[in-house]
Amino acid sequence: MLEVQHLHKVYPNGTVALTDVNFTVNDGEFLVIIGLSGSGKSTLLRCINRLIDPTAGKILWDGVDVTTAPAGELRRIRRQIGMVFQQFNLVKRSSVLTNVLAGRLGYANPYLSLLGIWPPAERERAQRALTRVGIADKAASRADALSGGQQQRVGIARALMQEPKLILADEPVASLDPVLAHSILQYLEQLNREEKITVICSLHFLDLVHRYATRVVALKDGQVVFTGLPQEIDRARFKEIYGEEAIEVRAGMAES
Amino acid sequence: MLNALASLFLPGLGQFLAGRRTRGLALFGVIAVMLGLIIWAVTPAVGGAEADITFKGNPANWRWLIVPTLLWLWNIWDAASPRPVLIPVIAALIMFYVMGWQATEIDLEALAKNFDRALIILRPMFRPDFLQPKADRLEAWVELEVPCSPTPPAGANTLVGTSLSLSAGCASVGETLTLTAGGLWPDSDAELVWQSPIGDFFALREPGTTQPVITRTDSTGRLATRFVVPKAIPPGIDPNLPQNQRLYVRQSKVTGGYELSTNGFFVLKGIYETIALALMATTLGTLFAIPISFLAARNLMSANALTLGMYVVVRTLLNIVRSIESLIIAIVFVVIVGLGPFAGMLALALHTIAALAKLYSEVIEGIDPGPIEAIRATGATWLQVARYGVVPQIVPPFTAFTIYRWDINVRASTIIGFVGGGGIGFFLVQWINLGDFRAVSASFIAILVVVMAMDVFSARVRERLI
Amino acid sequence: MNSPARGAKLPRALRTILIVIGVLVAYVIAYRGSEVDFPRLIGSLGKGGPLMQDFLTPDLVTREIQPVTLQLALPVPCGSAPEGEVPASGPRLVPGVPCAELRDKFTVEGIDLAPNTELQLRWRLPSDQYFPGPFISTDADGHFSAEFEARPIVATKDGVPSKIEVELLVPVGGPKPSAAVFEVLDAIIVTIFMALVSTTAAVVVAVPLSFLAARNITRRGRAGTAIYYITRTTLSVFRSYEPIILATLFAFWVGFGPFAGAIALAIVTVASLGKLYSEAVENIDPGPMEALTATGANRLQVVLYGVVPQIVPDFLSFTIYHWDINVRISTIIGYVGGGGIGYYLAQMINTSQNNKAGTAIWAIVVVVWAMDFLSAEVRKRLA
Repeated sequence: MLEVQHLHKVYPNGTVALTDVNFTVNDGEFLVIIGLSGSGKSTLLRCINRLIDPTAGKILWDGVDVTTAPAGELRRIRRQIGMVFQQFNLVKRSSVLTNVLAGRLGYANPYLSLLGIWPPAERERAQRALTRVGIADKAASRADALSGGQQQRVGIARALMQEPKLILADEPVASLDPVLAHSILQYLEQLNREEKITVICSLHFLDLVHRYATRVVALKDGQVVFTGLPQEIDRARFKEIYGEEAIEVRAGMAES
Repeated sequence: MLNALASLFLPGLGQFLAGRRTRGLALFGVIAVMLGLIIWAVTPAVGGAEADITFKGNPANWRWLIVPTLLWLWNIWDAASPRPVLIPVIAALIMFYVMGWQATEIDLEALAKNFDRALIILRPMFRPDFLQPKADRLEAWVELEVPCSPTPPAGANTLVGTSLSLSAGCASVGETLTLTAGGLWPDSDAELVWQSPIGDFFALREPGTTQPVITRTDSTGRLATRFVVPKAIPPGIDPNLPQNQRLYVRQSKVTGGYELSTNGFFVLKGIYETIALALMATTLGTLFAIPISFLAARNLMSANALTLGMYVVVRTLLNIVRSIESLIIAIVFVVIVGLGPFAGMLALALHTIAALAKLYSEVIEGIDPGPIEAIRATGATWLQVARYGVVPQIVPPFTAFTIYRWDINVRASTIIGFVGGGGIGFFLVQWINLGDFRAVSASFIAILVVVMAMDVFSARVRERLI
Repeated sequence: MNSPARGAKLPRALRTILIVIGVLVAYVIAYRGSEVDFPRLIGSLGKGGPLMQDFLTPDLVTREIQPVTLQLALPVPCGSAPEGEVPASGPRLVPGVPCAELRDKFTVEGIDLAPNTELQLRWRLPSDQYFPGPFISTDADGHFSAEFEARPIVATKDGVPSKIEVELLVPVGGPKPSAAVFEVLDAIIVTIFMALVSTTAAVVVAVPLSFLAARNITRRGRAGTAIYYITRTTLSVFRSYEPIILATLFAFWVGFGPFAGAIALAIVTVASLGKLYSEAVENIDPGPMEALTATGANRLQVVLYGVVPQIVPDFLSFTIYHWDINVRISTIIGYVGGGGIGYYLAQMINTSQNNKAGTAIWAIVVVVWAMDFLSAEVRKRLA
């Protein structure tokens, strides 16, 4: 269970990103965070695994406060939390397999990993993760030789290597076209349902929210303006969150 | 109108106030530089004699004032309403160029007038001194004293199988002596060569001509010839002081095939040193440049005031060293470690550190932060983040830059010997000073081969890496 | 089944080993060839110290030196004349006793004089003649102490006492730029001009040559192909030589001076710019030319409006870049060819005037830095 309590974040240049954010995520939820660009979604996700240090407040992960965890403890927390990024954040010049193996760094022998030596078991695990996201044949390719959708699958495979209890997904489909968006989110949904991995995902499109979320948190100007079930978000609410001029954009028709 | 007035007082001010800042600054800078140059041009050089004045110190240079004056007027006009910039640019270029032409002492006449000297350079260029026909050599010598002292040498000398004797053991410059020799190769040419008291060799010439004295031995290997004692005392030494000098008789017999000539050997040695010191300098430079480049990367060093200060210091030092050509750095190292390739290697290495550290640091500044964030998120340690997030991003461009620098270092190491830093330049500058253009030609060919090969290699490798 | 894979793997491992061995051998040979001797470097690092110190304290300012005489009246015997007054500060002579009797021995101290300097003390007699005293040298603080004896010759005469005197060389007036600054300024302006003239001359030659060396323009027919290859090869050959090598040859031809350096620089610049330009010409987009031809423009118009606008920014950018490089090279070309700052530097180093050499080096740093900055700014604007 993840509890976010009175979270504040002010950047050194004075930008206020988050103001008194409170919510709880139960195990097994598929929580979607919505909001305009700049509403604080990315900052919030990065505060959870402390890629960004919050200014004030607490984040309790299974009762342990992430915000005050010392370096070693923080790394152990981080390795239970996978992360998927909008820009995929792969090392473009490295091979797909190396990128996936990098997800295992939190578990690996720190010295052997520096030499680039991985036990066969880990290599097999990486191969399995790639098979799971359907690109086993690309293991030896350079990451930048892959298409956007394929790169994001590598990103998910990398997160899988962590055997995560929680996956943070920061706009995982914003750089992809609608059909690919569904296929990526379906992988996340599958992980959520079958492996009981909690997912916290920020999304842009209302129809994707309706389709995948089990619960929704809406941010506006760094504050939580709505918490509830996806069905409760209708056009009126949507306009309230996104402002008057917003038009609901559909993320395509691909629907099973 | 107000802008025009402003520009009347200070060139470019009107433009600056009107928001055309670049043009304003450029106008001010150009007019300031023009006035400075004119003042420089009319001031006589420090300690220069009045008779030497042609360009610098010539009051006629005041006439150039017309250009900045017109530019000033144009600048007022331009401030009132923007004008096209082409004509002032051309006027400024003409002024700078003509003054430059004079300051550089361009003398096209000298090019044509001294064409005979060019021929002295060019003719031997087509006969590089690298290989020579294999030949057996026979050499004999006899000592004599010029001018005579009370106790002159015997004037005869016997070496393995050969014997030389002179009609006198001493003589004054211009006297004619007779040489008789025995034990030489029969029926073949022999050359007479003089060795001065300081050890220089030169061929004896027939009086009044440039023909070397060549005589022929008879069928028993004997020869007898007359020769004029040459003036072999270098200036600065008392010509009346009796000095021992030597007369050599040399014979050579072509045996077929070719061998490396003496200069050819030095060309090979020089080119070997050149390649070696370029490789070592690049390697050493790279080893030091890598850690330094991290200190010179803004994104890594902007954490707090202390690291930022370190960044500024490192960057400034790198910029200073980079501005000084490795040839100048080599002068210092020659003083420290003495003549030879090691001094040149150190100079090139130091320059390489400065140049590569800057290029490397720019690579580091251009690193994509995304993958680093992703790997931190997996719970990796600091070292693991560096190994998996940073190293794969920087190694290929680092390699490309290193190879590029190696290419530059090979070129630079061909000249580092000019100041005693080893390599082919060390021999080349001596040959040029001695006027041995056949050896110069051989080294030019060697340099061409090495530099071109390096050029092709470096282009290939960089193509692959990028 | 497994053997082919194994067979393929073994040569690969072998190849890696061979490459490693090759690299090691190359390094051993290179190590010996460059006569690496780090102990010598560390052992004699001290030798570079004075040189570096001279370079780091360039000869920039000077002050005019004037002789100043310090005097101190010392009546012999006591009471024969008023005693001399000792000033409270500044260079001064301080006697151990205010006056002396005949044959007395006493000390005189000098305070706040020039440090580590040899001076001669003397008496100025009432007759206005000198009587030489001891030679002394001041310590690092500008202090000395000397023994005197009141001989009969220094006795007061007609109420006029003898005075102890020392002549000092004292800098007067404010600091002003030294001669070296003006010499360096001269040399550096000539250097910049050398680069300017050679670059400009090179551009004039390189522009037509670059069209001959451009594949898309020249390589038509047998004659064109031959011209293309000849031009390319010639450019490559001249690009292989450092300008300083050619400068030594031209110094032999036209005499020492900036001209020799400028010719050498121009030749190498032609070769280098010719290649860069020709690549710009080869990268011309044929689209605009096609479009212009389609509008019915003639050949000249096509070139003027279709080709020139495409290549001018590149040409300008390369030219400025090369001027920058040429300024760097001109700083050393005078070292052998004569002229400019390099020649000045060589002269100063050969005559061990290392402070002046330091002035030249700092001038080089400043100018190269400024050129670097200017050229980068201008090219940024052009891009």
